[in-house]
Amino acid sequence: MSCLRFGLRKKFVPYLEGELPPREAKRVEKHLLDCGRCRAIFGRLRAGHRSAQQLRHLSPDGAHPAPEFETMMADVGEIVPVRHKWVRAWEDWFYALTTPRLVQVLMVLVLALTAVLVVSNRRYLFGDRNSGLDKSTALKFSEFHPLSIPELQSNTRPHIAIEGYVRDVHIDQEEGTLHFTLAEIPQGLGPFVICEIMSPIGMPIPRDGNRVRVYGVARYDAQPGREWYEVNPVLNIAVLKR
Amino acid sequence: MATQILDGAEAMSIGGNEQERSLALAAQRGDSGAFRELYDAYRERIWTLVVYSIGDALQAQDVLQTVFLKAFRGLRSFRFQSSLFTWIYRIACNECRNYHRRRGIRHVPLEAILGSSDEMDRRPISDGLEARRVILRNAVIQLPFKMRDVIVLKYVEELSYEEMSRVLGCSPGTVASRLNRALAELEERLRPFRRFL
Repeated sequence: MSCLRFGLRKKFVPYLEGELPPREAKRVEKHLLDCGRCRAIFGRLRAGHRSAQQLRHLSPDGAHPAPEFETMMADVGEIVPVRHKWVRAWEDWFYALTTPRLVQVLMVLVLALTAVLVVSNRRYLFGDRNSGLDKSTALKFSEFHPLSIPELQSNTRPHIAIEGYVRDVHIDQEEGTLHFTLAEIPQGLGPFVICEIMSPIGMPIPRDGNRVRVYGVARYDAQPGREWYEVNPVLNIAVLKR
Repeated sequence: MATQILDGAEAMSIGGNEQERSLALAAQRGDSGAFRELYDAYRERIWTLVVYSIGDALQAQDVLQTVFLKAFRGLRSFRFQSSLFTWIYRIACNECRNYHRRRGIRHVPLEAILGSSDEMDRRPISDGLEARRVILRNAVIQLPFKMRDVIVLKYVEELSYEEMSRVLGCSPGTVASRLNRALAELEERLRPFRRFL
């Protein structure tokens, strides 16, 4: 039966040299009593170990000692590198800068700077999904005048909050703006207002059939073929529960 | 010729890490006197490794020269993360390996070098110690170089497993496994000549 105690076999040479703690030595001895295969391996190692120990007292080649420095360098010539003072100073400065501790500090600074840049520009990078309003403006949702779609005809206030059902969401490929129709009833003909989102990034995009409240600037498009009321630009959209 | 008994650690020590460090720093700045001191301190130990590895003293001299040249030129980039001796020893191990790769490893049986054990019986050997040296040396030289390195580091340089792992660039467990295989292989090669040892 083959023995798989490879880890224990690595301790055979330290055991031969008496370097194992007593407890480990006993483990080795106990295993050798039980395992014939390891006993055979141990026997070979012991013989090799005794032979190898003689190497300590024998030089490899008694007729040829190690060469002297001059002999060793005889064929080499000038080996001292010529380095100007400013070269040495620059090299010392460079190696001082690339010490592990300094590299760690620089990495932490770079990561911190990256984090600051990402946080301060997160709206442009990831889009602020909570609000389409530019928080730097003084406008608040409470200042938007709530009204219904039919009341748009008599409206004079610029900032309105109007509710309705979303239809026909589409993107104007030329201008890159998002348009949808906000209707008073979910299907069929009825009062409606056209909503235009100039910067769709960061704005929750409504789906057909959603009931939403749209915050934005009220306008009237008097162009022939249009002549309709608009919310343009849409500043925020809140999806309402049905 | 009588063989010398090496006592490498005592004869060759510089006297602590501080002295080694200051010599290395001076050599880094181009001080050839400091480099000479380092050479004198380490030459016997590196020479032992190289001769065991190469087998021929004249070729070993070339390899030794290459080792110390590379050590001198690379000293600027030495960052004292290990001892200087360990670092130079690694250069020596790699150079010996490169030497064998360039020349091809010749697997010459021990008997072809020494003759059969019967022939050795008939040969007058005036110096028993010399015979033992020849047999052992050639047996070690015939080992594959990974096994040879670990035998020389363990039994000639008397390095610990940790130190050997740093020189050889592997884990102490790997060193232990390699040592076991090396000793078994050495025993196999020495068996026909057991009575001369």
